[in-house]
Amino acid sequence: MKFVGLILKSARRSKRRTFLTVISVAMAVFLFASLRAVLDGFNAGAEGSSSTRIVTQRSTSLIFTMPTSHAEQIRNTPGVQDLTWANWFGGIYKDPRNFFAQFAIEPESYLRMYPEIILTPEEKKAFLDDRTGCIVGDGLAGTYGFKVGDKITLKVGIPIYGQQDFDFNVRGIYHTKGGAVDNQSMWFHWKYADERSVAKGQTGWYVAQISNPDHAAEVSAAIDQKFANSPYETKTETEKAFQSSFVAMFGNINLLLGSIAVAVVISTLFVAGNTMAMSVRERTTEIAVMRTLGFPSGTIFMLIAGEGLLMSILGGLVGVGLAWLVVNPGVLPTGGFIPEIGLSTSNMITGLGLSVLIGVLAGLIPATMAARLKIVDALRRVA
Amino acid sequence: MPLIELRDVTKSYKRDAIDIPVLDRVSITVDAGDFLGLMGPSGSGKSTLLNLLAGIDRPSRGSIKIGDTEISSLSERALAGWRARHIGFIFQLYNLIPVLTAFENVELPLLLTSLSKAQRRDHVMTALGIVGLADRVKHYPRQLSGGQEQRVAIARAIVTDPTLLLADEPTGDLDAKSAGEVLTLLQRLNEEFKKTIVMVTHDPHAAERASHLLHLEKGTLVEQTVQRS
Amino acid sequence: MGLIASYNLRSMIVRKGTAAMTAGGIAMVVAVFVMTLAIAQGFQATLVSSGSPQNAIVLRKSSTSETTSSLMRPDVPIIEAMPQIARGADGRPLASSELVVIIALPRKSDNQPANVPARGVSPRAFEVRDNLTFVEGRRFAPGTREINVGKAAVGRFKGLALGSDVKFGSAVWHVVGVFTADDASFESEVWGDVDLMMPAFQRDGYQSMTVKLADPSMFDAFKATVSGDPRLYLEAQREQDYYAEQSRALTAVIRVFGTFVTLILAIGAVFGAMNTMYAAVAYRTREIGTLRALGFSQSRIVAAFLVESIALATLGGILGCLLALPVHGLSTGTTNFSSFSEVAFKFRITPGLLAGGLVFSAFMGAVGGLLPAIRAARIPVARALREI
Repeated sequence: MKFVGLILKSARRSKRRTFLTVISVAMAVFLFASLRAVLDGFNAGAEGSSSTRIVTQRSTSLIFTMPTSHAEQIRNTPGVQDLTWANWFGGIYKDPRNFFAQFAIEPESYLRMYPEIILTPEEKKAFLDDRTGCIVGDGLAGTYGFKVGDKITLKVGIPIYGQQDFDFNVRGIYHTKGGAVDNQSMWFHWKYADERSVAKGQTGWYVAQISNPDHAAEVSAAIDQKFANSPYETKTETEKAFQSSFVAMFGNINLLLGSIAVAVVISTLFVAGNTMAMSVRERTTEIAVMRTLGFPSGTIFMLIAGEGLLMSILGGLVGVGLAWLVVNPGVLPTGGFIPEIGLSTSNMITGLGLSVLIGVLAGLIPATMAARLKIVDALRRVA
Repeated sequence: MPLIELRDVTKSYKRDAIDIPVLDRVSITVDAGDFLGLMGPSGSGKSTLLNLLAGIDRPSRGSIKIGDTEISSLSERALAGWRARHIGFIFQLYNLIPVLTAFENVELPLLLTSLSKAQRRDHVMTALGIVGLADRVKHYPRQLSGGQEQRVAIARAIVTDPTLLLADEPTGDLDAKSAGEVLTLLQRLNEEFKKTIVMVTHDPHAAERASHLLHLEKGTLVEQTVQRS
Repeated sequence: MGLIASYNLRSMIVRKGTAAMTAGGIAMVVAVFVMTLAIAQGFQATLVSSGSPQNAIVLRKSSTSETTSSLMRPDVPIIEAMPQIARGADGRPLASSELVVIIALPRKSDNQPANVPARGVSPRAFEVRDNLTFVEGRRFAPGTREINVGKAAVGRFKGLALGSDVKFGSAVWHVVGVFTADDASFESEVWGDVDLMMPAFQRDGYQSMTVKLADPSMFDAFKATVSGDPRLYLEAQREQDYYAEQSRALTAVIRVFGTFVTLILAIGAVFGAMNTMYAAVAYRTREIGTLRALGFSQSRIVAAFLVESIALATLGGILGCLLALPVHGLSTGTTNFSSFSEVAFKFRITPGLLAGGLVFSAFMGAVGGLLPAIRAARIPVARALREI
């Protein structure tokens, strides 16, 4: 404990050098923690998914639709407790650059099956009662300033819905809990879209609630069996698998961000290790003196390593703090692409852990150098 | 009563595959309470001898016994511990740690002991009192004169109450007045506090203060003088 | 100045451990810079080379992409009659009515189902898009369920090799040819006869028409003719503009991301360089004092240290570029969200990108070395000479 005082005072030796090194480590930790948060944001949908919901879509691709008349057959499959469906609307709000998700849903069943969507009872009733009503997530409302009672006009994006614009009344702002649903979407009545649709009675995907999560595979297979070899062949999978496939579409994000993280760490190791080696080199005489006083090599090792660790951890704290400030939807323009973004506690711990790792690795060689110093050689250099 | 016994101590350095002998079969006895001056021209091996006594270097051949300990046979780690307890080293260039105050510099060797903070404080203040710098405890080395720095270094050397004080050209970097003060201090430590001191020096004024003198030339003992007992 | 330069060089060599570490830090930054921008470059190149200056694409008014467009059968002869369209040797217009649908095929890399674009084309498509060459097999025979596959698609997705049978749209299709297209996005596609694909996917219209103009300068006239025809609810774009727009959003995102990451890393590396240079100055204080006493001016000293810092950083930059080079030509893919289909492309490192990396590294060296260099020049000569 008494040696901690020594370490602290040593760090004040060159305030500038300590500052520069701390910031270097801070940058590395900031990047690392932010990248991890972004990665988690991408995977949030999959991570938060429910194990008792399965999704049925056309086996060829999500852009093909299925008739809503198939609902009964799916509902009757053993193991299925509840059913709802949804369609991607793909409308344009003023400018194609204002991208956010819009879904046409079977309203009552959807809200029933997704308790993650939280509305006040009044908002829920108002929405269900209004055919042209819609609910928007609080995040989305924040971005565009939507309030209950506002009118939202969407231009048609997918030609199936005709050429006329769609008008919606905002009946509720929903909050979310858990990652399965994001707060950046807009939901409205499927019937409204279907009325104007060139192809009537079609839906993009079904979501079924199953009684036993262990039976997900069997129930999925049973559903697909009903439509096999028909023109509307289906593919049913767990909600998690469904969400994961969207992330995979971007490409191998894990690999990309992982590689960058590695580069970040290596770069910082160079910088931090260099600083510490320089610091040791300048203090050869001092270290020799302490060895002369009787400080064992092991203690010297600890002192130098401790100093490196201290600077790194300081840098880690700064980096995590920065990341916490920057990585939130208010600052980062990820909006429609990564709905759930924020720095989690786990990201912070990982960031700090990284700073400890850097401190340890970068300090290893300089500390060993200091511990192994031949006293006589070091003293002779000066006198 | 002999405190230090060197028997046939030889030390050579390897420089690019050539063996350079620095000490050649030196045998010396130093009694407890002696103030020994080591003199000799540059390259005579006197500093090397001091380093061997301090345990910061090892002899190529021969034995060094200090007190009851044959230090040439101790492991590196044991040597460090022994050194902490038995040796006080005073360098020509003081070698105080710039980021520590005078107090903290003197306290440094005590961090290796198991004394409590309060106990350490007592020792440090006593040592600083002896060297006459009790009023400079909070000053950093850059705020002290050369003579003051050396006295702090002496305080550091005596704070653990070591068996042996070793001084390598303690006045080499000081002006006449400061040198005088330092030497008076050393003499006092020897005569009043009964400290055994081995001092390497060029300075004849310094040599005057010693009780015994040893002359080295080219690694061998050439003369031994007793100035007072 | 030559003496100073060699003095700097030798000083660097003496402290080679430190120099190496600093250069290493910079190398990493430049490597990340080059690699991430190579992704953007590659993606853009693929999409841009998909467009020919002589071609135009006709889509529904205000459609942002083929997949959200629709073009009906009666529209086709109207467009084909337009005078600006080039005619083939047989006098018939060089135009292809097309429909893109997504089929799900497993990726070779992770076995996950991917959205593969299947493009129904008219037989004349190969004359309209004349940068397509067949590396294996031959063109599909019109009126049959024969299909052609782009080379990148064969490499990326399972079951598309020459001679394979592929099942989609409730029918089985046979691969009879593999083509390349200068890395254009078409290489990620499966091509077949549009008139057979339409019913297979329960569609009753096309999405777009791609035409080859008799001369690129005729585009404006063509566009006016299309917009001006009251029977049509369509508009024309230059094929190049269309694909440029398709790539715009994603390319911008990748570029911003890459630049952001690199900048942050650069701060760390620059600070590392600063540390090194400050230490170098401190270590060589006496030398500097001597040089000044000999008559070297302050600005010469600043220049000397600045040059040293820039040289060291540029060395790191070269190392970084070398580190990044192996990714050039590496195939990868992502989803073009405008078309919801997967596009395979290659990392593309251009000489311009490498030059940019080197300039960037030199810049980092300059920034890192400036303050220490100024400090070196400012040390009072007498004090410098007293330093040990």
